[in-house]
Amino acid sequence: MCMAKKFLISMRLQMKNKTSGGEIMKELAIKAENVHKTYGNLTAVNNLGFEVPRGICFGFLGPNGAGKTTMMKMLFGKAERDHSRGGQVSVFGYDPKESALEIKFFTGIVSQEDNLDQELSVIQNLMIYSKFYALPAKQARIFIQNVLAFMELSDKKDAPIRQLSGGMKRRLLIARALINNPKLLILDEPTTGLDPQVRHVIWDKLRDLKKQGVTILLTTHYMEEAFQICDDLIIMNKGEKVMQGPPAHLIDKHIETYVLELLHTGDEALDAGDAVRTEFMNNRMLLYADDFEIIKQISDQFKAGDFILRQSNLEDVFLKITGRKLHE
Amino acid sequence: MNNTHTMADLGQVRPPSFFQRIFSVWLRHVRVYTKHLISNGFPPFVEPLMFLAGIGLGLGSYVGLIEGKTYILFLASGIIVPSAMFTATYECTFGSFIRLEFDKVYDGMISASLTVKDIFIGEILFAGTKGFFFSGAVLIVIAGFGLVETGMAVFTPFIGFITGLMFAALALFVTSFVKNINHFNFFFTGLITPMFFFSGIVFPLENLPEFARWIAAVFPLMHAVRLVRAFCFNSFDPGLFFNLAYMIIFTVVFGSMAIRRLTRRIVN
Repeated sequence: MCMAKKFLISMRLQMKNKTSGGEIMKELAIKAENVHKTYGNLTAVNNLGFEVPRGICFGFLGPNGAGKTTMMKMLFGKAERDHSRGGQVSVFGYDPKESALEIKFFTGIVSQEDNLDQELSVIQNLMIYSKFYALPAKQARIFIQNVLAFMELSDKKDAPIRQLSGGMKRRLLIARALINNPKLLILDEPTTGLDPQVRHVIWDKLRDLKKQGVTILLTTHYMEEAFQICDDLIIMNKGEKVMQGPPAHLIDKHIETYVLELLHTGDEALDAGDAVRTEFMNNRMLLYADDFEIIKQISDQFKAGDFILRQSNLEDVFLKITGRKLHE
Repeated sequence: MNNTHTMADLGQVRPPSFFQRIFSVWLRHVRVYTKHLISNGFPPFVEPLMFLAGIGLGLGSYVGLIEGKTYILFLASGIIVPSAMFTATYECTFGSFIRLEFDKVYDGMISASLTVKDIFIGEILFAGTKGFFFSGAVLIVIAGFGLVETGMAVFTPFIGFITGLMFAALALFVTSFVKNINHFNFFFTGLITPMFFFSGIVFPLENLPEFARWIAAVFPLMHAVRLVRAFCFNSFDPGLFFNLAYMIIFTVVFGSMAIRRLTRRIVN
């Protein structure tokens, strides 16, 4: 299944690359070049550039403080890029410097924090929000019914916000962002702090939206999330892009296929040979190799429970690239 | 590369007009406020009652005529505008600060097609609207006691409206500096409360030494009180245009400074 997915992604990329230059431009949802952002002495985003084709799900991955949220905010004018250092941002042809209002009109934004009106019910929250887009009440009622049904919140429509669980609030924030039928959906850590059921529901909804042609941008530190729903992603660290590509490609290209985690090793030497790359983290030892047999043989020396033998994943790439130390 | 992709298939991107945006913000506040109409609507009717009874009747019996009026008439006309001042000030200090820092309401709003400017102009207008109704409530109470002598008094809620705008602008300007909600105490104790006592509401300013009268004239509430008294007593003089101009200029100056500072705080 994984292979099939990789294949599909690579096919899609090839098809995109085959079209002429002009065609590619027309298909872009977002284009950013040489974007800089500093807060005093702190460089939040440093010379970042990327392109997002329309209709895909694009992810920003990175540890806290990597500049993901800042980059997102610069797309719709919640943060201003450093204009003095050149750089360009275009969102469906609009520059957020002059046209943030236009961009926000066709973009749904879901922030990290819950910023619903606590005083009001679900439906009142949405009715008021629809006024911010000047939707006529009659049309708004239909749209609201649709987005509530889509996010599976129809039976909560009269509930006060404080009665909603964290998962319901997050779904409501997404529903609210969908009111004006956006072409672009920006989500900042959409599933942080949610239980696995809600997380899967949200992933399914995002896949549905993508099928409907909505371009999706999200930040996350969940590798699983990035792997599951992102067609393309960039890994950021300290304000810079470290690498970019479809998740499966990144794993293929940047990390060995298999990992053996030895859980209780001290300093004892373990001669694993040249085919194995070793890393240490606290008192764990990680051995990476492309050849399953080699790594299996090493694991035979240990008793069950003292090791984990598994396929490598995006998290391994991420930790390899951004380092294993705490960033805070 | 500069001239990026086309926007043909995006359809018409027509964000709401300035008026629609301001109105939507105003409507948001009205909806949230009227959600608790009974508890929110109670104070403007009861506070003037206590004031008239406690100070007007109690203290009034020791005070002679002021400007040819009984003390209770003088006081009743004075307490129409401070209600607008207090409600607008609370709304745009504690209220705005909570929306800004705790509930993050503004972050939610500017994620829709609104600008920071829209949000605060809408908010100032809402505070003005509250000023209108709070002044109106006081007017109803004093009329109930037979303390309104002329029909011209029906225009005083409009002065309440402008008073609300003016103090909302000032309060937002203060809020733009505040990092800790307790710091509003300095503003209330240091400025708003003294303004209430030294703007010719409970006693006429004519009795004060000249320098004190000049100080009172610098602060905004006195100008609102003069306008309201003119309508209550149906006695107008050209100086009132100066009072009105002061209120409008004050609102525009502090309002635009507040919006500029709050924009820098929200868009970073």
